[in-house]
Parts: sequence; C-alpha cells; structure tokens
Amino acid sequence: MTDATYKLPPQTPFLRKIQNSLFSSPLNTLLSIATAVFFIFIIVKFVDWAFLSSIWHAEDEPLCKEAGGACWSVIDARHRIIFFGLFPYEEHWRSTVACAVMITTIVASCIPWFWSAAKLSTLWLLGFCTFYLLMHGGLFGLSVITPERWGGLALTIFIFAAVSIIGMPLSIVLALGRRSKLPVIARLFGLFIDFFRSLPLLTILFTAAVITPFVLPGWLQGDKLYRVIVGFAIFFACYQAENIRAGLQAIPSGQDEAGLTLGLKYMQRVTRIQLPQAFRNSLPSIVNQFVITFKETSIVTIVGFFEILASGSAAFGTGKWTVYYIEVYVFIATIYFIFVFSLSRYGAYLERKLRVGHG
Amino acid sequence: MVDQVNSDIPAVTMEQVNKWFDDFHVLKDINLQVADGEKVVVCGPSGSGKSTLIRCICKLEDHQRGTIKVLGTELNDNVANIDEIRREVGMVFQQFNLFPHMTVLENCTLALTLVRKKSRKEAEAIAMQFLEKVRIPEQSAKYPGELSGGQQQRVAIARSLCMNPEILLFDEPTSALDPEMISEVLDVMVALAEEGMTMVCVTHEMGFARRVADRVIFMDQGEIVEQNSPHKFFDNPSNERTKLFLSQILQH
Repeated sequence: MTDATYKLPPQTPFLRKIQNSLFSSPLNTLLSIATAVFFIFIIVKFVDWAFLSSIWHAEDEPLCKEAGGACWSVIDARHRIIFFGLFPYEEHWRSTVACAVMITTIVASCIPWFWSAAKLSTLWLLGFCTFYLLMHGGLFGLSVITPERWGGLALTIFIFAAVSIIGMPLSIVLALGRRSKLPVIARLFGLFIDFFRSLPLLTILFTAAVITPFVLPGWLQGDKLYRVIVGFAIFFACYQAENIRAGLQAIPSGQDEAGLTLGLKYMQRVTRIQLPQAFRNSLPSIVNQFVITFKETSIVTIVGFFEILASGSAAFGTGKWTVYYIEVYVFIATIYFIFVFSLSRYGAYLERKLRVGHG
Repeated sequence: MVDQVNSDIPAVTMEQVNKWFDDFHVLKDINLQVADGEKVVVCGPSGSGKSTLIRCICKLEDHQRGTIKVLGTELNDNVANIDEIRREVGMVFQQFNLFPHMTVLENCTLALTLVRKKSRKEAEAIAMQFLEKVRIPEQSAKYPGELSGGQQQRVAIARSLCMNPEILLFDEPTSALDPEMISEVLDVMVALAEEGMTMVCVTHEMGFARRVADRVIFMDQGEIVEQNSPHKFFDNPSNERTKLFLSQILQH
C-alpha cells in the first residue's frame, strides 16, 4: 500500500452498486424482477398500441377496428377543432400565428436578458397587442372575430398568459400589503386574500361571467371572457400572494435593517433586497401555482368557453369518431404535458440559477 | 456632506433617553455624548441594553422618551431627518447581513447607485477602493455565501464605508466569528480608528477597547453604570458591577 491509496475515497464498482441496491436479498431480487417485468410489459403494450398497430390517416379510419391499435385518424381528421375550437375555418392561420406569438412571448420572458421592468412590459404589451389584433381582427382588413368564437389551444394559452400577467403583479401587491406595518392595511389585505381563497374557483368564474353584468355599469362590464380572466387572476393572485409572503417571511430581519442603514427607501428595499430573496425562497411553490393554473384553465368550459379540453370533447363528439375518445384524450394530455413539463423544467433551471453562492 | 459638518457639533447626543419593549424597560435615562472623531466602546452583560442603545442611534429602534441628536439633527418622526441621518451613519452587524443574492461588489455598489446616485462605473471604482482597504479586492466577484465569516464581516465594513459615513456603529462585530478570524476584522477596525472615524462599538474585545477607545462605557440593566478612559476603566474600575463584569470576562 502506498500513501496515494489513501488520498481518494474507496470506490464501489458499478456492478457492485447495482447488486447492492437491487439484488441484496431474495425479497429485493424478487421485487426488482417483478417491477422490471411490469414496466416492460406496460411499455411494450403502449408502444404497440400507439405506434406499431396504429392507424395514422383520416381516410384509413375503416381499418381501425381490425388494427387493434390507436386510431390516430381521429386526430388527423379533427385536429383543427382541437386546436381552434369554433374559430372560423379560413382564419385558422390567424389563431396559429397568435399562439406562436404568445408562446414566443412567454418563452422570451423566461430568458434572464429580458428581466427588467422596461423590457418585460414592452415585450408583453407587444405580445398581447399582436395576439389581440390577430385573434380579434378589425384592422388591416382582418375580419372581426369576437371572443365567444375563440377556442382551443389559443384560448387556453391566452387565458393562462393573461391570468399570469395580471395576477403576478397583483400577488406581489397583496403579499406586501398583508405584511404592512399599519394594522388596518394588513387586516384589509388579509381579509381580501382569505375571502377569495376560501371560495371555489368555479364560484368565482360563475360570478364573473353571469352575476357581475347585473351589478356593474355597462361600460365597466367588458366581454365575458375578460371578466372571467379578471376573476381568475384575482383567485390566482390570492394564492400566489401567500406563496410570496412565505418567501418574504423566511428572510432574516437583518436584511431589511442592512438596507435601512444604507439609506435605501421602502421600494428600493422591496425590489432589490426582499423580492429577489422571496422569489428564491418560494420558487417551488410559485412554479407550482403556475402549473396548477395552466391545468385549471379547463374549468372555463363551465361558463361556456371552448378551451382545448372542451374542443377535444367536441372533436370526438360526432358520428363515427365517438369511439375514439381515448386517442383524443391522449393527444390533449400530451399537449398539456409538453407545457407543464417545460414549465417545471424551467422552474428547476431557475432554482439552480438562483442558488448561486448560497451553497 | 463632509465639509458641511461642523466639528463643534457632537456626533451623537442622547439626553434622558428611555425605551421600553412592551413592559420591559430596556434603556433608563441614558445620557451620552460622542464627540466628532471620538471612539467609544460600549460593553456590558447580555441584556443590558447596549445593542438597543446603538440601534436607537440609527433609528432601527424607536425611543419613547428623551431626545437623540445625530450630527445636530434630532431623531423624531420626521422622515426626511431619519433618511438624512441613515445616510450619514453606517452600521456593522453581528450577523454581517450581506445581501446573499448579490456579489460582494454589488453589495457595495447598491446604495452608491440608488442613494448617492453614482454611475455604475463610479460606484464600482469607489467600492473597489474600499474593498482594497479591507484587503479583500480579489473576492469582489464572489457571493457572500462563498466567503468565510471574517471575510464577510470585512465586506460588510467596506459596504458601510462606501457611503462615506460620518459615524460608524458596530454591533458586536466579532461575536459571530470563529476565533481565528477575529483579528482580521479588528485590524480593519483599528485602521479605521487611526484614520479618525467616529466610532461607537458594542464589543467584548477588551484588547481592542484598550488599544483604540477614547472612552469605555459599561452598561447594566439599561443604565450607563460607569464610563471612563480605558486605562482607568480596566485598571481601576469604581463600580462593583463593573468589577464583577470585568472579573468574569477577563479571568481566562
């Protein structure tokens, strides 16, 4: 034995590690094999159903029954309904471009280079204006299509983006308000947050869609879609405010005191010292709230909007397609998965990025 | 600001200052004057009110009775006064309180750009100058979490110095440090004292007190029990409580 032997920790060979963790006892060996067999069975079954025995083209639909696999013909034939809902057929390109614009805006605002108030607000103003112009029309010779006829993926993304962009600043205001040193302000904000948190989202959306027109003056009502978005955004903000507040409470009081003794004003301490640390502290739950919100957009179906899930039901709702609902749901689930998985991966990236220097 | 300050005006004047935390009377009839350029060390057993005393000077705590004047400006509910005083009074904390999400350099430049309205370039030049002074310029791109306690405290001192304060307050600056890091921080503080900075230090570093203090103040149960030159204070304490305290901290 030379001295060098002791400079490195002892290494366990790879095969030995596998043996230790999977086959260390008869019971473990049995469980490992059973689990492996089960998963291989599932994967083989799925691959066979989805790819090997499946039918892909709309005109091949009659072959579906004998093939025994997935009948993707339904997607080939009906994907426009899923993506565009009731949007007029010949204007589908507008909805496609609008979707692309909104997704680009969302992706761009995830890039650190855009993280200043000026850049973000310009980006979102441009994004929303372009989206609205394309979807609603009325300018540059585009025919007018009112929000009742918007649908599918474009509507889902629009609702999600609008709720986030209204809800996020609102949640910061609510969180800071609830932590105000003035008891009256803190109580009022607390009451507001707890009131909306204690209501089911469904109730809020119903109220926004159906009841507010009786209460609000005509010029304040706006379209049903916008009322629903505002209601949804308030609901989102109240939950997100509590996540942010948790992050704020985890900051040691010395941080604010250090800011005070350097002569920083309240807003400077909030934006430069408190919020960056609060976001870092509660990033997992903040991202979680976004994920939940993306999925909950499907609830707007209940007040008469054809977002992607409702459009999907319409896609298999007629004639020969009624039996292929599994394929449609798998397809929609894949779309949801792409969005939500990207969102959570982005959250993980942010966590790594913000952890710099925190050990 | 520097040339506006008349050296006849005391840096800090406290008259009959009283403070309560709920029912607990933390400061009792405190009378204290700190002259411009003077170095005062405040010591005393834990819970004696010494930290509260210096936190009152930069209005991190409100006092309920009596008057506190800093650089001739009274600390009352006038927000403009408080802002002005906070800009001129620096504070170094026991727990450093560096901003963990900013690099060492950003910690130092933050207030320069936001409060002193310096350009980024100017602010960075000033910050580097003070980081050199605390002998840590090579760490400027690191985050506080990557530094040792002693290094963090030196950065915290540099951050305060960047604001070019008239008075620097130290709240037990070495109490959270491992023993081998205490001297690097004290060396910086001694250098500052020798340059004529007005300092009020809450500390138990009696060697430091002997070396730089013009006056040592002993507090117990919210009162100033004894104040004297370090020589008389350590070698010939007059009060029984001071004697007891000194025997407790100096016996090792």
